[in-house]
Amino acid sequence: MNYESKGTVHRRITVSLFSKILLLSGLLLVAAPVNGSDEFSFDLEEIEKKPYQLGGYVELRGEHADINQGSVFTRLNLTDPNISTMDSLYGSIQLDGSYEYGISSLNVQLKAAAQQDTIGWSDLTLVNAAYVSLQPTPSATFSLGKKSYKWGKGYAWNPVGFVNRRKDPNNPEDALEGYVTLECDFIKSWQQSALQTAALTIAVLPVWDDINDDFGESDEVNLAAKLYLLYRDVDIDLMVLTGNSRSESIGLDFSTNLAPHFEIHGEAAYIPSFKKNILKEDNSSSIEENDTFSALLGIRYLSENDVTSIVEYYYNGGGYSEEEMADFYQLAEAGFSQSLEPGTDLLDRAREMSLKGYGRPQPGRHYLYAKFSQKEPFDLLYLSPGIVALINLEDQSYSITPEVVYTGVTNWEFRLNFSMIDGGSHTEYGEKVNSNKLELRARYFF
Amino acid sequence: MHRILQRIICSVVVVFLHTGTAFALDGNEILRQVDANMQPQSYEMYRKLINVEPDGKKKEFVLYTVKTGQDKMVALFISPASEEGRATLRLGDNMWLYIPNVGKPLRITSLQSVIGGIFNNSDILRLDYSVEYDATGISEQEKTYQLDLKAKSPSVAYDHLKMTVDKESLLPLDIECYAVSGMLIKTLHYSKIQDFGDGMVRPSLLETDSPLHKGYRSVMLFAKVEKKEFADEVFTLNYMSRINELRK
Repeated sequence: MNYESKGTVHRRITVSLFSKILLLSGLLLVAAPVNGSDEFSFDLEEIEKKPYQLGGYVELRGEHADINQGSVFTRLNLTDPNISTMDSLYGSIQLDGSYEYGISSLNVQLKAAAQQDTIGWSDLTLVNAAYVSLQPTPSATFSLGKKSYKWGKGYAWNPVGFVNRRKDPNNPEDALEGYVTLECDFIKSWQQSALQTAALTIAVLPVWDDINDDFGESDEVNLAAKLYLLYRDVDIDLMVLTGNSRSESIGLDFSTNLAPHFEIHGEAAYIPSFKKNILKEDNSSSIEENDTFSALLGIRYLSENDVTSIVEYYYNGGGYSEEEMADFYQLAEAGFSQSLEPGTDLLDRAREMSLKGYGRPQPGRHYLYAKFSQKEPFDLLYLSPGIVALINLEDQSYSITPEVVYTGVTNWEFRLNFSMIDGGSHTEYGEKVNSNKLELRARYFF
Repeated sequence: MHRILQRIICSVVVVFLHTGTAFALDGNEILRQVDANMQPQSYEMYRKLINVEPDGKKKEFVLYTVKTGQDKMVALFISPASEEGRATLRLGDNMWLYIPNVGKPLRITSLQSVIGGIFNNSDILRLDYSVEYDATGISEQEKTYQLDLKAKSPSVAYDHLKMTVDKESLLPLDIECYAVSGMLIKTLHYSKIQDFGDGMVRPSLLETDSPLHKGYRSVMLFAKVEKKEFADEVFTLNYMSRINELRK
């Protein structure tokens, strides 16, 4: 099959996939319940509590992306770098369950997802959370099992999230997989005091074979602790991670309202012996240990015309400088030019370094995140248009995503967005696999 | 005993208010009585919010709310499924929103909407009127008082209110909500007086309309308004994910 005929096939797949997505979305809308009755009633059955709860959502997502042909990561990651477009259909289900018995409760969150795209099929099943908790008093809670942690005040990034999974700034509100911990949580409140609340969370996080083995070094027991204070209307968290699985870390965060419509938040993390894989001049690699400081400063502002602005600056002290990233791109280019010659390993080395850090999301040092969304403009109830920008401030490459979210049908959420991903040669977004991406997502909650 | 004493004091105040020739009308005292008649200081209750669109289509939300003291309140969405588990916490002028998937409370502002429609956070987490507003004027009609109320703090959603209060029951009938600019943002209408038990006789229906959303209506229905005491620790960020455990 020649290149032209492949392109025709891909276009046909695109049209076919998007026709199916649009048709399915239309059917879902038609099938959704609409209540035209004008009577108001409130039955006590509606508020009856059961000891168990089961809920979650089903998601269907269609994507069409233009491939950034010739970019470093296209050539590194795609088996066929001549592909010009990528279409994918993604389906997932998330189940949330809980059961209460006296002072104890069991909480479970499961996720299963599958994707069919131009290249092939992939699927996964995941236990995001599964833990039991005991709450003998409102001041104390003990839990054991797999639990997701979301430390930090940042919306897009959390440099103090020492036990968090890395979140996707494009979908920062998605649930993430947890770690198996033994956790104690203590709360104390005071009235008529500058210190209104203090809460201490202590989590013991072991790393053994098959338990938290992706957290860091094995056969170690780590301790993570967070002290939360509400002092003079300012939220303050002090956190620490000790143990040998990862570098020891300390951090703090804060958030407060400077004015009724203006919130400010920040995070700072210090890691005395942060380990980073570095590419050396002779194309070998080494692990460097350095004192590392990372920080985030952000605001949330609500304007009079209901536009919510979230803007965050992130300094990623453990990231790569522009020069270090340039070394990596040069290695990859050298690999591409020599890969046909027998005996060369430059391309393999570039792929290895990509996996060890250079290819992770936001590998650089200075980033800006901005999200502007307006609630229900022009009296369009439940409709929220917005725009999200993610900028690498060092190389000025960026991703800009206009989006619209509609929640007007009970238990349904529809989101349509289009990402423009651009930058020059050897810049982060200029070397991504996609040059733009159209996405339509429908979620049904139950 | 305490309850009887409270009723005697209320009755005395009402008698004094009705003999207005002997005593000057005190708008703030009337406002405190309105609050006392509407709910206990510490309580739990259920509310159903219904947004009605011009074509009659409705969207419903059910909330479980607990409050203690003057300014500690938390509201939990128990339906529909898309909102289930969302909780909003208010401590004085501070507000936070907890979304189960996000997994951590985020600071929000009082005007930010946690759901679509005419109701905003301040409507859902409204403290007693006398805590948020000062009575700056009062006028008397045959069957009602009209109170002019001014917000004590700029963090309150509506800068000033005009509240019409029924003289006999000392319950609110209508409330006009204005922005700083003087623009009418919405009007609240209380109706359907119901006995919730334990001496609590108050409106069970609140209807809202807004000139900003012509043709749209929002309705709030009240159920199981019950006096109940809660530990202060319930009104903290660490507790927000567990509010549902308070429900019996």
